[in-house]
Amino acid sequence: MAAAVSASGFGEETPPGIVRRLADRRRRDEATATIGMVVFLASWAMLFASLFFSYGLLRARTPVWPPLDQPPIPVLLPAVNTAVAALGSGAVILALRFLRLGRLRRGSWALAASAGLGTVFLALQVVVWVGLYRAGLVPSGGPYASVFYALTCVHALHVLVGIAALAWLAARGFVGSVTAHRHLAVRLWGMYWHFVGLVWLVLFATVYVI
Amino acid sequence: MAVPAEVLIAEQAQPIHQEPTSFWRKYVFSIDHKMIAKQFLWSGCIFLLLGGVLAMMIRWQWAFPYRKIPLVGELLLPRSGGIIGPADYQQVFTTHGLIMIFFAVTPVLIGAFGNFLIPLQIGARDMAFPKLNMYSYWSFFLSQLLVLASFFASLGSGGAGWTTYPPLSTNVGTPGAGQSLLVLAIFVTGVSSTMGAINYVTTVIRLRAPGMTYRRLPLTMWGLWLTAILNALFVPVLGAAGLLLLFDRQFGTQFFVAGASAVRGGGDPILFQHLFWIFGHPEVYIMILPAWGIVGDVVSFFARKPHHWYKGSAGAMIAVTVLSAMVYGHHMYVTGMSPLLGQGFMVFTLAISLPSMIIVLNWLWTIWKGSIRLELPMLFALATMILFGIGGLTGLFLGDISMDLYLHDTMFVVGHFHFTMAAGSIVGAMTGIYFWFPKMFGKKLDTRLGQIHFWFTFLGLLAVFLGQLATGYAGQQRRLFDPYQYTFIQGLHGLNLATSIAAFILFLGQLAFVVNFFKTIFSKEKDREQNPWQVGTLEWTACSSPPAYHNFDHIPQVLRGPHELSDPEVMKVLDRDWVGQAEPLPQGTAGARA
Amino acid sequence: MSRLRALVASVLVLVARLAVAAPLPEAGYGLPRDVSRDGHHVDALIHFTMAAATVIFVIVLAAMLWAIVRHGRSHQAVPEHGSRATVGLLVATLVVIGVAVDGSMLVKTLIDMNEVFWNFESADRQPGAIRIEINAHQWAWTARYPGPDGIFGTADDVVTTNDIRIPLDRPIVLQLASTDVIHSFYLPNFRVKRDAMPGMVNALWFQAEKTGEYEIGCAQHCGPNHYKMRGVLTVLKPDEYDRWITDMAADARRAYDAGDKEAHWAWEWRRNM
Repeated sequence: MAAAVSASGFGEETPPGIVRRLADRRRRDEATATIGMVVFLASWAMLFASLFFSYGLLRARTPVWPPLDQPPIPVLLPAVNTAVAALGSGAVILALRFLRLGRLRRGSWALAASAGLGTVFLALQVVVWVGLYRAGLVPSGGPYASVFYALTCVHALHVLVGIAALAWLAARGFVGSVTAHRHLAVRLWGMYWHFVGLVWLVLFATVYVI
Repeated sequence: MAVPAEVLIAEQAQPIHQEPTSFWRKYVFSIDHKMIAKQFLWSGCIFLLLGGVLAMMIRWQWAFPYRKIPLVGELLLPRSGGIIGPADYQQVFTTHGLIMIFFAVTPVLIGAFGNFLIPLQIGARDMAFPKLNMYSYWSFFLSQLLVLASFFASLGSGGAGWTTYPPLSTNVGTPGAGQSLLVLAIFVTGVSSTMGAINYVTTVIRLRAPGMTYRRLPLTMWGLWLTAILNALFVPVLGAAGLLLLFDRQFGTQFFVAGASAVRGGGDPILFQHLFWIFGHPEVYIMILPAWGIVGDVVSFFARKPHHWYKGSAGAMIAVTVLSAMVYGHHMYVTGMSPLLGQGFMVFTLAISLPSMIIVLNWLWTIWKGSIRLELPMLFALATMILFGIGGLTGLFLGDISMDLYLHDTMFVVGHFHFTMAAGSIVGAMTGIYFWFPKMFGKKLDTRLGQIHFWFTFLGLLAVFLGQLATGYAGQQRRLFDPYQYTFIQGLHGLNLATSIAAFILFLGQLAFVVNFFKTIFSKEKDREQNPWQVGTLEWTACSSPPAYHNFDHIPQVLRGPHELSDPEVMKVLDRDWVGQAEPLPQGTAGARA
Repeated sequence: MSRLRALVASVLVLVARLAVAAPLPEAGYGLPRDVSRDGHHVDALIHFTMAAATVIFVIVLAAMLWAIVRHGRSHQAVPEHGSRATVGLLVATLVVIGVAVDGSMLVKTLIDMNEVFWNFESADRQPGAIRIEINAHQWAWTARYPGPDGIFGTADDVVTTNDIRIPLDRPIVLQLASTDVIHSFYLPNFRVKRDAMPGMVNALWFQAEKTGEYEIGCAQHCGPNHYKMRGVLTVLKPDEYDRWITDMAADARRAYDAGDKEAHWAWEWRRNM
């Protein structure tokens, strides 16, 4: 640390406590990255808010919702998906705990598990889509179908991005070693994953249940 | 002298990197905010020219309807031999609006100035996320390519107006790839803006130099930071609207389709208007806030006195930011929404006029009893005050529902938003260009050419847009291919012709700027004078002109506000009327401590 | 000095432009002739706001010019950040403008909206009120009168294209709809405008005080021929109107074709608009 201080050119008197505060650099970098992620998620939250707003407005002006001649939307599989999403978030939290304790292998397995759970989520979502499509609910079938497909597809795209990120982080964990940087990435992508899960919760409640 | 702890920490947090040597890393895929700023500046200015050409085509049509455009007509409209037809015309005004807003003003004011100035004015070595910055530029470049591509679609580009209202903008109303490409271009530029916003917001929060409190930020920083917050929150709303419109166009969904093509009740065209204007009204504040900030700083610098009631202006900008999404319904007064809702929007709209007035009055109070130097940046700043003033006052008419019943969708609206956006934002941008040109390129722009540019621009803008206000006042609607189909507009042909001629002169006057720009960039001798305007902000006092790759040799320790000018104690000690934000004064010197 | 002259010149140009906006008949500039019963509310507000805006602008501009001339390079700048007096003066100015200008506009408009412009019920309920349904489409205005039986969608409905005739001094209540894109029904000489929105029915009402022919414009971009979507509103004396509508209804009954589905686009008149 003393070497770093003198290398920066200020070799004269260094104030007391500077060594400890210099070591806080990792925490400072993390704070910056976290704020960036918060702004990023705020933007995505506004996108989803707009989509839910659209849903609300269209539903409010339609006297009968769902329209009587549309196939009913299942609730069981999506409910299972909600559990899957919750487990996925849990896996990420577990991964972070392992990484903080320095247990790289276990952390990587937990990340792989969350990616796997995400894949299960998508698979079940595809099953739901295919079933409904065959039953006659098509995107061009009016506002009800439009809302359903648009919301679930946009959400699914976000899940896909999350799966890719977590899988990549897991792979890096298996291959390389833990550094502060990679740990930060896990924390940030964990925030993203929780966000996507939260959006699913709102989606499940408003589209599938109500 | 002991180096303060905060400075050491800041130095460690932002180590000095080696400047890249390869051409690609230095000029193309650069992560240096200054280079990215220049990329945005070039891209924006090229599209500003394109948008201007489109504007000249609109003015040609109203001055000389059905006549062939001279010189370039055959080139622009080969299929019709240089004559604008109704289908061409709607593409011209659509792309003019979209290009000017998203692909000209935004990259110059926010992309270029934001990128260049934010790290320099807050005392940082680069943005918080330099790689994200690079992606922001290249996604913007992609969106510009998509716009250009739309012109080559078989049915031409989109033609539903920049507001893209459905059902006209659905594939029933406007079929073809051109409209879809435009909507996609808007989505992609939205992605670019959001990436930039994440960078700007985080950088101002996290990378301010030690001692640079929010109260010591230059007003330009307030403008750019609040703009970035609005961008981060409301561009996604436009993204949603565009996404749903693309779904309607490509996958047959029915979010906005209504009328005869509706299935099972159809969608709601007004839904689009809600989404669009929840974005659209903050968007106009996004476009003016940086200009407000720049003008605020410049009038203070060239009146050689501190900005009057700095807290009032910063607070007014914050108030405008908060209120901006609550007034959006004033774009929808005649859509048939409930009168109570309309009245609510009207109350907020009138309320938001008050912070804007604080900002303008503060400019006036700043130059009063100053020592005004009419250098080029100050000329443009004063012009912005007048032009934006007219724009703001005409907004009062439109914010009122009764008057809007008559004035909605007339040329009065067009005159209003051109005074605020074209005149306010663009002349504000010009203020910034003339002011920071020596910082970016090492030499001031030529004064003679600058003055010619100034008078052509100021008088030209006045003539053109007062002309538009007058025709709108007389009831002429906007977006009319041939206004003279209406008897009540036939008498306005003379005024439209005069306005068009003023527009051609305004356009030609920009040549003075183009010549000045290139002449100065390529001139052999540079002043390399670090602080030609003699002001105290960090970009002028703590680094060279142009700055080194790493900006600051030493991260500055900020001691005072950005507008410490003409303080008598300082003048006594330093024998000049300005003091740098990070300049240490001898112990015991009172004053200049803000 | 030459800069000052140029500045003064630009001010004079501006003032002249504003002066030119004084009312002149349709042949030229200024507000179009107002032939409506209630358009004067709008005009009064426009004149008031124009006067207020001009006064504010002239005062601020004068102050700017004074500062540029008198507080120039040779003047010693007063390094003030904003004293209680100066900030107080600014806030006071703001309050005065806010209350006097914004406030008056708000109050007058709220009254006008509730009593006149959005008061469809009072207009619709009057015995002599004329009801017209307007189907705005690309690119013409098709109007439907209920005919002597007063019911829309029957054989005696009078349907016209780009030709709306109304009697003098009677409330005219319109309901607007569209089946394709958004249009906007605009009567410059009556100071009214309302969008015709697909999937919705909008209401508009007005009353004429002078006979004559006036233009109907479309005020929302609706496609390439938006500029041609011009109609004519003819205000007739009451007996002329009665003759006209009776003749048209008789023609309509004769020409009625029960099988022409497309022609039967009427909707039941909406109450409580």
